[in-house]
Amino acid sequence: MSENMSGGPGDESLAAIGAELRDDGRRRMAGNTQAFLKKHAPFNKMSAAALQTFGEKAQIVFYPAGSEIIGPDAGIVRFFYLIESGKVQARQAGEVTVTEYSILSLGAGESFPIGAVTAGRPSTNIYTAVEDTFCYQLPAEDYLALMASSPEFNLFCTQYIASLLDQSRRQLQQQFAQKASEQQTLNSPLEGIGARNPLSVTPDTPLREALETMSRVGIGSMVVTDTEKKPVGIFTRSDLLDRVVLADLPLSAPISQAMSATPLTLEEHATAYDAMLAMATHGIRHVLVTNHAGALTGVVSERDLFALQRIGLRQIRQTIESAPNVEALKQSAADVRQLSFNMLAQGIGSEQLTQFISALNDALTRRVIQLNLERHSFEGIDWAWLAFGSEGRDEQTFSTDQDNGIVFTVPEGMEKDALKQRFLAFALDTNKDLDAVGFPLCKGNIMASNPQWCMTLEEWKGQFSKWIRTPEPKALLNATIFFDFRPLFGKSELADSMRRHLLSQASATPVFLQAMARNALEVGPPLGKIRDFVTDLEPEHPGKIDLKKYGSRIFVDVARIYALATGVHNTNSIQRLRLASQRLSTKPEEINAVLDGLNFIQLLRLQHQYLEGEPGRQGDNLIDPEKLNELDRRILKESFRQARKIQSRLKLDYQVQ
Amino acid sequence: MFGIKKFLFKGGTPENLPGDVRSALEAWRESAAPALDGLHFHTRYRVIDVATTGTDPENDQLQGIATSSVFQASIVPGDTLYVDFPAGGEEGGAIERRLLAFLQLVDKGPLVTYHVPYVGGFLQRACKERLGVDFQPSWIDLAWLLPSMFPDKGNKVMPLDHWLEAFGLDVGSGRRNAMENSLLLARLFQMLLVRANGKGIDTAAKLIGESRASSFLRRIH
Repeated sequence: MSENMSGGPGDESLAAIGAELRDDGRRRMAGNTQAFLKKHAPFNKMSAAALQTFGEKAQIVFYPAGSEIIGPDAGIVRFFYLIESGKVQARQAGEVTVTEYSILSLGAGESFPIGAVTAGRPSTNIYTAVEDTFCYQLPAEDYLALMASSPEFNLFCTQYIASLLDQSRRQLQQQFAQKASEQQTLNSPLEGIGARNPLSVTPDTPLREALETMSRVGIGSMVVTDTEKKPVGIFTRSDLLDRVVLADLPLSAPISQAMSATPLTLEEHATAYDAMLAMATHGIRHVLVTNHAGALTGVVSERDLFALQRIGLRQIRQTIESAPNVEALKQSAADVRQLSFNMLAQGIGSEQLTQFISALNDALTRRVIQLNLERHSFEGIDWAWLAFGSEGRDEQTFSTDQDNGIVFTVPEGMEKDALKQRFLAFALDTNKDLDAVGFPLCKGNIMASNPQWCMTLEEWKGQFSKWIRTPEPKALLNATIFFDFRPLFGKSELADSMRRHLLSQASATPVFLQAMARNALEVGPPLGKIRDFVTDLEPEHPGKIDLKKYGSRIFVDVARIYALATGVHNTNSIQRLRLASQRLSTKPEEINAVLDGLNFIQLLRLQHQYLEGEPGRQGDNLIDPEKLNELDRRILKESFRQARKIQSRLKLDYQVQ
Repeated sequence: MFGIKKFLFKGGTPENLPGDVRSALEAWRESAAPALDGLHFHTRYRVIDVATTGTDPENDQLQGIATSSVFQASIVPGDTLYVDFPAGGEEGGAIERRLLAFLQLVDKGPLVTYHVPYVGGFLQRACKERLGVDFQPSWIDLAWLLPSMFPDKGNKVMPLDHWLEAFGLDVGSGRRNAMENSLLLARLFQMLLVRANGKGIDTAAKLIGESRASSFLRRIH
C-alpha cells in the first residue's frame, strides 16, 4: 500500500469538495428559480439577495389537475405557494361566504394563501389545481423571514392583507344596507314601526281617567280594548272636541261613548305601505297593530310613517340649531343616531363616521350650551367649553358619556371664586341637560360642573405642568383623558394657549413621555399563543374581548405619545398617527396598515353597538370573536397584530423594558 | 498530460490515487445500495444531466454534472449538486475528488435522465478512467419511458424540447445549461411519477423495470 493512505486531513478536503459542489448546485438551482421570479411582481422589484434566498429555500412541487393543494383540513399552513405554471382555483370552505368571491382562479406568478401563512393558521379556502400545476413552495418560516428582510415583499403582503380589510368593510356595508333598507322602506313590517305595547283602557273606563292618563303620558290618542286586549275603539284628541266638549258629554261617562268604534287594525306582518294606504283611504291618522290572535301590540301614526323617510343631515342640523328646548334636542339626538346608522349603511368608513357623529354631537352640545346661556350670562368674560377623551379626539361611537370642562380668565376687578361659582352653576345645568339629551353623566365626574375641572387658564397650565413633572399613576391616567382636549364653545384661543403650553412641556420632558409609554404598554392586544385570541382577560365577561380596552385604546395611547413627542396639535388618533409618522419618517404604507387596523376595530365597535345594542341602552364594546365570521376574525387578528407592531415600536423608541 | 493519465488509469483501481480518495472510494464500493421497493414518495431520485464537449461518449470530454433530486414529490433546493470539472483544475486529484463527491451524493440510488446511452456513457467512461469504477446505476430513462407512459402526448422517442412543449413547460430561449436541463427533467419526472402511480407502478423497482422494458421494446420494434 502506498504512503498516500494517511487519511485525516485528506478526508476533510473531500468533504469540503462535496459541500462546495452542493453549494454550487443550490446556487444554480436558485438562479433558475430567480429567472422565473424576475418575470413576476412583486419579485421583480425585490433585491437580488432576497430572490436568491427565495430560490435557495423554495421547493418545486407538481400538482396534477384535480388535486387539492391545501385546504382548511390540512392544518396550519406550512408553505407560501407561488404558481409557476398551470391554474389553481380558490374556493371557500363551508357555506358562509367570507370574501367577495366564492371562486377565484389563480395563474402563473400568483401566490396563496398569504393571509393564512402570515397568520400561521389553517387556510380558509380550498385550493385545487384545475390544470396540471407546478408551484414553488417556500416554507412558512422562510416566508416570514423574507417578509422581515425584504421591504418590497413586505409591502406586497401588507397590501394584500389590506385588500382583505377592504373586502370585509364592503361586506359590513352590505349587512348594514340590508338592515337599513329593511328599516327604511315602506316594505318593512308594522311590527317594527311606531309605538310598541301602547297604553290601552277598557271600554268602561271613565273619560276623565283616560284623559288624565293621556295628559300625564303625553300621548294624543288612547286605544280601547276588551279584556282580551282586542281593540274595540280608539279615542283621539279630535274626538275630545267633537264628541265630548261639543256633545256635552260628562267626564264621568265611559270612554266607549266617545270613542270611534271598530278602529282600523292591521296585523303585524302588514307593511308600512299598507298602513299608509289605509290612512289615505280612510282619512285616519292612526292604525292599530294586532298580533295573529287579534290582540293589540302597537299603534302606528302618520308621524311614524313620515319618520321612515330618510333623515337628512341638513335637516337635522337645522333642527338642532333652532331647537327651542332640551325636549326638542332629544328627538334630534335620536335622529343623529339614525342618520349615523344610515351613513354606516352607505359605506362610510369608521374614520369619517366617528368624526361625523362627533360633529353632530358637537352641534347638539353647543345648542344645549346656548340654551343654558340664556339663563347664565358671561358677557365680557373669556371662557371656553372643553371636550375631553373620545369627544376631544373626535372619535365618538354611538355610546359615549360626557367628558367636559371649562377654562376661563378672570377679568380685572372681578373676583375669581365668585366667577367660578357662576361657571359651576351654569355647568351643572348644562351637564344635566346633556344627560337628558342622551349623553350620560360621566361616572368619573369628569365634567365642567366639577370644581376640579372648571379652572382658569393659568390653573389649567399649572395642572398640566404638574402632571408632566410628576408622572405618578394618577397623573398619567389624567393625561390620557385631559391631554385630548378640544374647544367646543367659546373662545378657542384659550385652548390653543393650553395646547402650546402642553406640547412645549411634554416634548421637553422625556421622563414623562417614557412614563406614558410604560403605561401604554401595560395592556397588550389579546393575541393568543395557541388560540387566535385571548378571551379571558375580563373575568366578568368570559369569552369576550373588550375592543376598546384591548383594541382601539392601544392605538389611541400610542398616537397620543407620538403626538406629544413630535408636537402634533391634532387630537384625533388617526391624524395624530399620520402626522407623527411623517415627522418620524415612517413609511406611509406601514402607517396605513396600522390605520387600517384601528379603523377596522372602530368599525367593529360601531357595528356591535348598533346591530347588537338595544335601543335606549348604552352599547358596550364586548365582542365574542367566535361569533365573527372567518374573515372578520382574520382581519381582527391582523388588526391586533398592527396594535402589537406599534407597541413594539413604542417600546423600542422609549426603551421600555 | 490528460491523455497519458487516461492511458495509465485504464482498467482496475488506478494505483496512484491519493490516499483519502482511495479509502473513500473503497467505503463507497462497500456501501449497500438503498432498497428500491419503497413507494416513490419515500424514494430519493437523482435527476442527472451532463455538460460535454460533444455528443460522443467515447471521444468527447465530460465537463460538468448537474444533479437535482426529487424526494417526497418535491424538487428540493438543498439537495442538488453541480460538478464543474474545468473550474476545479486537475491538481492533486481534483477531478477524481469531484467525481467521487458525485458518487457519494448519488449513493447508488436510482438515477433519472434523458437518454441513458448518452448521459450514462459519459459518466461510465469518466468513472472507469478516473476511479476505476464500473458505473452501472439503476437508470430511469425518460426518453423511453415518457412515450410509454404518456402515449396521449407522444408515442415515439422525441427530442426533449418536444416533450417540454407537449407538457406546456417553458422551453426557454437559447441554449440551456445542464442544471436548467436537470430541473426541467425533474419536473417531467414529477409528472411521470403521478402517472406511474395511477398505473400501479408505485415503487422505484417497478419503475426501473418499466424503463428497461420500454427501451427494450422500442429498440426491437
